[in-house]
This record gives sequence, C-alpha cells and structure tokens, in this order.
Amino acid sequence: MFDILAYPLANLMLLLYNYLGHSTVLAIAVLTLLINLITLPLTLSQQRSAHRMQELQPELEKLQKKYAKDKERLAQEQMKLYKEVGINPMGGCLPLLIQMPIWFGLIGAIRYCIPSTPLELFQFSNHIYKWLPGVIGLVPLRSTFLGMDLGAPPNPAQWWSYALPILVFVTTWAQQKLLTPPTAAKTQSQAGAMNQQMQIMMPLLFMFFTLSYATGLSVYFVLSSAIRVGQFYLMREGQHRQKAEDKEQVRPKPSE
Amino acid sequence: MDRFRIRRWLTLLAVGAALLIGISGCAGGVRPMSWMGLTIVEEGLVAADLQQVRLLNVSDAAPLWSFPTDPQKARVGTFYVTPAVDEQRVVVASQVPPTGFLGQPKNVVWALDRKTGNELWQFDDAAGQYVEGGALGGGLFVIGNSDHNVYALDAETGALRWTFKTGYRVWATPLIVSDTVYIGSMDHHLYALRLSDGGVRWDFQAGGAFAATPALRNGTLYIGAFDDKLYAIDAQAGTERWRFASANWFWGSPLVYADTVYAVDVSGNVYAVNAETGAPVWPQPRPLETPVRAGPVLTEDGSRLFVGGQNGTLYALDTKDAFVVWSSESEGQVLSPPVVSGSVVYESRIPGTYRIRALYVDNGRPIWSYPPVAEQPSK
Repeated sequence: MFDILAYPLANLMLLLYNYLGHSTVLAIAVLTLLINLITLPLTLSQQRSAHRMQELQPELEKLQKKYAKDKERLAQEQMKLYKEVGINPMGGCLPLLIQMPIWFGLIGAIRYCIPSTPLELFQFSNHIYKWLPGVIGLVPLRSTFLGMDLGAPPNPAQWWSYALPILVFVTTWAQQKLLTPPTAAKTQSQAGAMNQQMQIMMPLLFMFFTLSYATGLSVYFVLSSAIRVGQFYLMREGQHRQKAEDKEQVRPKPSE
Repeated sequence: MDRFRIRRWLTLLAVGAALLIGISGCAGGVRPMSWMGLTIVEEGLVAADLQQVRLLNVSDAAPLWSFPTDPQKARVGTFYVTPAVDEQRVVVASQVPPTGFLGQPKNVVWALDRKTGNELWQFDDAAGQYVEGGALGGGLFVIGNSDHNVYALDAETGALRWTFKTGYRVWATPLIVSDTVYIGSMDHHLYALRLSDGGVRWDFQAGGAFAATPALRNGTLYIGAFDDKLYAIDAQAGTERWRFASANWFWGSPLVYADTVYAVDVSGNVYAVNAETGAPVWPQPRPLETPVRAGPVLTEDGSRLFVGGQNGTLYALDTKDAFVVWSSESEGQVLSPPVVSGSVVYESRIPGTYRIRALYVDNGRPIWSYPPVAEQPSK
C-alpha cells in the first residue's frame, strides 16, 4: 500500500549511497534528514500546537476543577478556551496523520535497500530506476556498520547491536516527554493518565519493534526522534526569545 | 487495579498493536520469507514443503515419507531451500522460529535418510538464514548462509570441516566439480574454493551481487549477476571470457545445452546466447511480462524451456524460436525452478491452494496437484 512512496524513497537512498562513499548509515541519515526537512512545516505545526497546549495547561486545570462534576460544561468551556486562544485541539493529530504514510514509505525503502529476506529483495528488483547514475548493481547495499549487520535484527553474536533498540527507546521517550504537556501528565484526569502511559508505552512498542526487525530501521528511528527533539528545542527557544522581545518592547524605556 | 484503569491500558495496548501491525504490515513484514524447493530422484520427488520435507510418489503425489511426521509436535521450523540429494541422504535447511520475544530464530541443516526420511544429523551453528540449498560432493555438504559464511560439513556426520567468510550474505547454491566449490556471494564475488579446506583458488568480481549457481560447460562457467550482466568465466583461471548485457538482474541460474546458454532476468526476459561468443541466438529476447526469480529448465532433448513467473504462470517455450508453446496459470507465485523428468514437469508455488503441480511437458495438462483437496485448509 505504501510502496508508491517506498520505491521512490528507496531509489533516492540508492542515489545517496552512491554519492556518499557507499555508506549505508550516511545514506539513511541524509534521507531521514531530507524527509524531516520536507515534513518540517507539518512537524512544526504539530510541535507548536503541543507547546501551546502545554502553556494552556494551568487554565485547563482550573476548568477541570471548576467543572469536575459537569463533563458536558467542561467540554464546552474547554472548546471556548481553545477558540479564544486560537488552538485547534486536533491540530497536533492532523500533521501526524499526514506524516504517517511518509514514515511507512521510508521504513519500506530501508527494508528494500537492505533486505533481510529474499522476497523483499525480489519485490524491489523491478522497481529500481536504472536511469539514475550509478545505481546498477548497488542493491543489496553493504550493511555492515560498527560490526553490525544493518539488514538483520539485533542478535547475541553482535551483542552490541542491542544498543540500538535501547537508543530507540531513549530517543522516542525524550520525544514523547517533550511533546506531552507536563502538567497534564501530573493530573489525575483520564487524559493525564493516558499521556503518562503513552510516554512509556510508545517508546516500549518502538523498542520491541526494532528488536525484531533490521537494525537499519533503528538508525532511522533514532535519527528521526533526535531531529524532532532538536526541532522542538529550537522552536521553543525561538518562541521564548520572541516573547522576551515582545515584553521588552512593551516595557517603557527609562529615558522616556 | 480498577476497571477504568484496566480498560485504559487495554485501549493503549490496542492502539500500540495497531501501530506495530501497520508499520510491519505496510512495510512488508507479514509475508512469506522465501520459496520452497523441489528435487527429483529415482524413487520420487523430494519437496522442501514448508512445514515438512516429503518424498512424493511421482505418479500420484502420495507421500512415501515425511519429515517430521508430526510438524505440530516437532519444532523443526519451515523448510524453504531446494533439497540436495546423494545416494544415501537428503540434506535440507530450515528456520526454526524463536522461542520467547527476545529469542533468536535457529537455522538448521538437516540430513535425512533418503529411503526412510529419518533424521541422520543436524547442524545449527550458522547465525543467518539459509536462502538457497547446498550441494553434496567429495564427502561434504557445502552451503552458503546469510551470516556471510560458506559452511562445509561432513556429509556422514554433519561435523563442521571448514568455513569460508565472504564479504556479505551468501544466497546462492554452490556448484561442486571434482575438488572445487564455485559459489557466488552478495559481496559481488564468485569464489572458486578448494573442496578439501576452503582455500581460495581464485575469485572473480562483478559489478553486482551473485545469487545464482554457475553452469559449467567445456571449462567455462556461466553465471548472471545483479549488475544486469551474464558472464562467461574461465573455470580454471577465473578470468572473464565474455559478458552479455541484459535489461535487469539475473537471479536464477542459467543453463547450457549444446552451444547455447539460456537465462532469464528478473523482469522476465528470456535470453538464448551463444556459449562460445556471447552473441544472442534469438533475434530478440522473449519477454514474459512477469517478474521471474528462478532460472529456466530444459527438457532432456533440449527442445522445450520452462520458466515460472511471479504471476503464477508456468511458461513452456520452444528453444528454436522462443515461441510460447503453452502456459499454465494458477494461484500463487512460481519462484523456484521447475523440475523436469521425462514427459512431466513439476512446479512449486507459494502461497497457493496447490503447492506442487505435475503437468505434461507437451501440452501443460495437469496430472496431479499437491496437497490433494482433502488436505487443503478450508477457506
């Protein structure tokens, strides 16, 4: 289903591999970076929405306390508050949904270029763009990185390969932690508890996933999460700086 | 834990599971890993038939023996590769699924008694998957593995005699000729190894991976690679004699008959090339318009060529002019090479209602299908 995206991305990865000294890790890294650049407007919108929701938490908590016994009124007041500050509560979900096919396509691309089964390789064999320079004969890409086979799942013979799923857990957890409103996680409300559980559940699920699939995918997940964490920090810093500048402009100057 | 919290956790688990299934399924995770294999012997057809290895009677597909007898009880895994056979034994490989979440799949070579199907020995030291079968010769069984190694085992006992490490996965069946093993690797090299100790006689480097078995005739090896080339290589010196350019990779093994080399690329173009010069014999290659994984096979008189396609069709071509004499379509994909014996051609397919079919060479009329209707899983 996502092959329509996976094939072009796999060919782009072949091209990058050809121009980056036949380094699979570099090709995955640059491809991940490119994809993140393309989806930057979407992730920024998602992260901005998350950040604004974080800022809104004290207000939301007040409402929750005030209308603890009237759920319908609580929902109405929350929507009113969102409207007042110009937040779409679903604003964080939509960009995420739009990005999902791209992620699946990228995962497919990695699996076609460093396949762990012959059927994956065979499926890709008729979808290589032969007109791209230097791609003939490249597949399957050389996949040894720090003594690990990027095309195979972590295994005891290369015990250090288990470090990658652990890194996947850490970086996904960091990403989840940043995108979850801290006060929301502390509340006893259903949403707060769900958020708290998601912070652990999602990284765990991704870690288990990467334990049973090619380690090349772990490289992608780690880089992707690290890029998003970096983006979030940059965006938050930018917003803080902007606020500080706004305050400076509002404050009367001593000479005046 | 109160009911509300249990329900919350269950919801989260369901969301997580859906996400994982989405990732693995959409990226190609839930698929069969490889293809099954067939070998014809005097007493029947040996099939690495996924859950079991079977010797089938060629006249009616009745199993003469099966290993293991009860696949539900025995944890022997899934048999994919083409069985290697000598006078005493059938040697196959399987992948046993991991036990527990963090367990590793076990990759096992099994030697079975050719007459009874009883286990003679097993070898489970290799770390990777066996994608293609091995070859028996000189008292050894030689097989390549995804862990980059070529393993040579004592055919009598299964004891490891030597290993040879290549630069990448070994997904090709070796060819053993007297005291030399010829084996291709995904590291773009075709190696000629001493059968006695695995020492390198020569290695030939192409522009792409080798996943096929070379064909040998009059001191020349013929093999295709993933660089869209078919090579003729001096078997003694390992030097190139000629190369023939095609439209796509050669994954299946070529074959030589008289002065002609027949080969199929993965796009389904069938080529006939002069064995001496590398010049095309047919004016145009025959396009089958389906991806083709396995190499072609010939009838004993060299008049008819059989090629199986991913679209589930078995094609019979006239070797004189590449005319498609007949084609037989069925469910599933034909990814392993068919086997010809006398007037019958046998093909295997995955997945499909029938995994093996026997057809007449002349007209493609089906003789039998396996498993019989009574054994097929209900839809």
